[in-house]
Amino acid sequence: MDTATTTCGATATPKDYSSALKPIWCPGCGDYGVLQALYRALAAIGRPPHEIAFISGIGCSSRIPGYTTAYGFNSVHGRALPIAQGVKLANPDLQVIVAGGDGDGFSIGGGHVAHAVRRNLDLTYLVMDNQVYGLTKGQLSPTSPKGLATVTSPLGSLEEPINPLLYTLAYGAGFVAQGTPAEMPGLTALIEQAIRYPGFAFVNIQSPCVTFGQEEQQMRAHKAHLRPLASLGHDPSDQLRALDLARSYGKELHTGVLYRNPNPPPTYDALVRERQRALAPEAKDRSRLLDVFLQK
Amino acid sequence: MVVDLVLGMAGSGGDGVVSAGESLLAAVSSHGYHAMMTKSFGPQIRGGESSCRVRVGTVPVHNPGGALDAAVALNWEDFLKFGAELELAPTTVLIHEAKAGPPPEALVRRGAMPTEVVAVPITELTNQSAGTEKAKTSVVLGLLCGWFGVPEDGVRRGLEKKFAKKGEGLLETNERALKAGIEHALANPLRSTKRLAPPPTHSPKLLCDGNDLCATAALFAGCKFFGGYPITPSTEVMQTLAKEIWKYGGTVLQAEDEIAGIGAALGASFAGLKSMTATSGPGMALKTEIMGLASIAELPLVILDVQRGGPATGLPTKSEQADLFQAAFSAHGDVLRPVLAPISVGDTFRVTVEAFNLAEHYQTPVIILSDQEVAQRKETVEPIDTSRFTIEERLAPSASDLVDYRRFRHTESGVSPISHPGLAGGSYLGAGIEHNEKGDPTASGAEHARMNEKRFKKLEPLQHRRDLFDVLGPSDAPFALISWGSSAGVAREAFELARAKGLAVKLLIPRLLYPIAVPVYREFLASVEAGLVVELSHQGQLHKILRMQLDLPAGLRSFCHSGATPFRPDQVLAELEALAAVGVK
Amino acid sequence: MNSLPCSPGVDFKKLSLMEALDLAVTVEEEARDRYVELADALSIAHTPEASEFFRKMARMEEKHRVALLTKRRASFGDRPSTVGRLQIFDIEAPDYDTVRVFMTVRQALEVALQSERKARAFFKAALAETTDLEARFLFAELVAEESDHEAYVLAELARQATDPWGDPPGDPADYSDEPVSQ
Ligand SMILES: Cc1ncc(C[n+]2csc(CCOP(=O)(O)OP(=O)(O)O)c2C)c(N)n1
Ligand code: SF4
Ligand SMILES: [Mg+2]
Repeated sequence: MDTATTTCGATATPKDYSSALKPIWCPGCGDYGVLQALYRALAAIGRPPHEIAFISGIGCSSRIPGYTTAYGFNSVHGRALPIAQGVKLANPDLQVIVAGGDGDGFSIGGGHVAHAVRRNLDLTYLVMDNQVYGLTKGQLSPTSPKGLATVTSPLGSLEEPINPLLYTLAYGAGFVAQGTPAEMPGLTALIEQAIRYPGFAFVNIQSPCVTFGQEEQQMRAHKAHLRPLASLGHDPSDQLRALDLARSYGKELHTGVLYRNPNPPPTYDALVRERQRALAPEAKDRSRLLDVFLQK
Repeated sequence: MVVDLVLGMAGSGGDGVVSAGESLLAAVSSHGYHAMMTKSFGPQIRGGESSCRVRVGTVPVHNPGGALDAAVALNWEDFLKFGAELELAPTTVLIHEAKAGPPPEALVRRGAMPTEVVAVPITELTNQSAGTEKAKTSVVLGLLCGWFGVPEDGVRRGLEKKFAKKGEGLLETNERALKAGIEHALANPLRSTKRLAPPPTHSPKLLCDGNDLCATAALFAGCKFFGGYPITPSTEVMQTLAKEIWKYGGTVLQAEDEIAGIGAALGASFAGLKSMTATSGPGMALKTEIMGLASIAELPLVILDVQRGGPATGLPTKSEQADLFQAAFSAHGDVLRPVLAPISVGDTFRVTVEAFNLAEHYQTPVIILSDQEVAQRKETVEPIDTSRFTIEERLAPSASDLVDYRRFRHTESGVSPISHPGLAGGSYLGAGIEHNEKGDPTASGAEHARMNEKRFKKLEPLQHRRDLFDVLGPSDAPFALISWGSSAGVAREAFELARAKGLAVKLLIPRLLYPIAVPVYREFLASVEAGLVVELSHQGQLHKILRMQLDLPAGLRSFCHSGATPFRPDQVLAELEALAAVGVK
Repeated sequence: MNSLPCSPGVDFKKLSLMEALDLAVTVEEEARDRYVELADALSIAHTPEASEFFRKMARMEEKHRVALLTKRRASFGDRPSTVGRLQIFDIEAPDYDTVRVFMTVRQALEVALQSERKARAFFKAALAETTDLEARFLFAELVAEESDHEAYVLAELARQATDPWGDPPGDPADYSDEPVSQ
């Protein structure tokens, strides 16, 4: 590929990553904060925008790539992770970021998460978890608390929510964190660390939906109940403790890095590249490809 | 002496009849014969009954043929399971294991019993010569050499290739069995005199199946990414690429499902690589949404659908041509995407390269509609002169395009220069949502109409791709055959038989199935008063599409039946003759 | 632990005048940008009056920023700023969740009021902890200015209350269409 990996370094500013397109989110939506945190994290890392591929599914949150100057792909509902894996394998030099909502990632696209984790490509997955379907107007989401009354569960839901933190940890993700735009410096730092983590990194972002979300899931409530993991003295290399803490998803708002593998294994994309290099000498001339079938 | 011989055998999986068929195929093809082999199995994963048929000719063979010239039954129970695959006629020489006894009542009741039925003590011969029953099929090969002129040294070379590496003694054991078979045949001449004529030339040939050639063509065209999920009968494409593609800087991703497979392939295309996915009917259904995404995002992508009997699991190991509607029409929104179908194993190479070229040139998903028969039958192919092919690359943006880059710029041709992540100045938002020229989302009806028009306009040149059609026969013929995919080879032979009988018939074989190239059909049909559209599906899907988009001659009708058993040339011929006998109006 | 309402991670006891100026400039810059961002969101969401008011606030913050920056340049030239935007994310800038579609000007004024109060409280606390004399002067000045802003907003609120065309009774959402699913 013709990508020369360059770094803007200190010269990058959040503005460099902000496109001319104005968000169509509801005023007050948590996703505005997520977008700002992302701009700042990207600026801190400093890769030029054209070396970033930003893939999303469908949902309010999935609109986010369009608001950046990166190469964006606002694809179809639930399929951002597979598409992103193709992008990364096609060009491992790219910085590939994947984003979407809780419905996109854990309902329709839920089957892809385990596989993205187990393949461990160097991807950053940001889920804007508002415990509701925003774009389609307030239906039950896989992370909605049990009993929640919504337009599709008018009598209250009967099922337990999915626990994104526990799932990704249990699947074996090397980096799992949770943040909220109610705490911007922390969220920005988490996104930056996730991007820098060499492997699959997941950040669950509690991003309030002001239009359809619950009162206790709004920023004000976040601010009041926030429990930074650092203040609990959590050691992010302690996987068992991380699993334990993850169990309180939906009850406690832990923010920070739950788990970061202190010895990240080689990524799938790195192994692919290694194999390609090792086997390249066996390549045949294009005109000789059919010779294997020749009967003599 | 005959110029064309169809041999078939059946046994239990443990007998190795398919493996023997392969040896036979290798033997005749190395001698310069044209040949093809199809196989058929019981539903067991291992240890079920199996059968194969090999057609050998001194001239090119286009289909597996009709009734067998020689049939070998290692036991009756297994043989009876393949009524349609191993069709008998009075002219067939039926050879059977002596200890199995004479043909059972069930076979006799089917009618068309061969007049020459030969019992051979196959097991006994094997035990005596080789000291083990296991070499049974080598005795059978010997019989075929002795009675039908299958080249003995070819078979011997095949045995060498197969057994030389498998340890001491095995080769000699099988060679002794082969010799015993030949000697038995020479000592017991047949009444029938169907000996294969020598091949006209001794030109070397390729021996492979359609899936082999599809994978190889993908590499040849520069495919660097494959994303897919295993499904019969397409999986071999993925398996071949999984072994080879690394050498060429590519990779194969075995995805968690078909959606992820096409998703990853589309992602790789977005990132700038030639990319493909492969599947069969059920997987196509799952890929439909992302095919729509590829259309609206104008991304090149090759999708192979190896058709099998459907719907759902249907007949997973049998051929059918019933995915045409799905390929042409399964879409939400106004979508036009090219659908190509190979008509033979060798043709798969050309069609696959063409699919990549169309995909890259027009920035569109392209479907290759292969079928189980073309994909999995092994066949001799004349060496392919690869220097004749051009390889297309997608239109890259020029320096001036990258000043205020508009990814979906309206152009004369409808094709816009396409950037990819990593290219400075080319950033844009790829999207499933409707967009303006820049790629920014829009909900404007006018913009949507313009973009739809662009996406259709760019494919208009396909209307004039006469090179994607075979037209044979006199241009003023009143009778016609139209056929596609694996059935085209049958129609081709029926056409030749009809011509030899003096019928004024012509033949059209489309490789481009969709969009319908209206001018090509109009020109072909101008003289036609009656004819048949021959295809292997219950509905006759191509015929229906043609009726939808063209004014067809009143006498042009569908000749179709459900999948699993291919048409026989004599069936098509008979139908055509009946049509001609009624006359024109 | 710092007792400030929002911790920018600065040790006020050791804070110099330049650092204090950097802090103030960045706080104003953040507030300006936030008001613009919220105004954009509101104008896209067809809430023009509140949007216009936020733009006015942005202009005010910008004026303030330029004044502070001029002072900083005069004394310390172009040396790089010692304060980053993330440190002061919500010292003055209103939170994202303070705005709503169809919010009234009155509600917008309330948002501004909270923000100015937030800023004043911050600078007041900073003043109490800072030891550098010049920096203390600066913080005292800032407290006064934020009070002025607050007074302006309060006056506007009072004017609104007497405006016959001011906010209608009830929640603005009562008058609006349902959200549209996409
Ligand atoms: C295949 C398919 N099914 C359904 C939809 C409709 N749809 C669009 S977004 C969405 C859910 C959005 O919720 P979430 O992913 O949580 O994102 P949010 O809007 O909350 O950010 C649904 C059901 C669709 N676009 N495609
Ligand atoms: S509906 Fe909810 S999630 Fe969607 S933009 Fe509005 S506030 Fe945000
Ligand atoms: Mg949601």
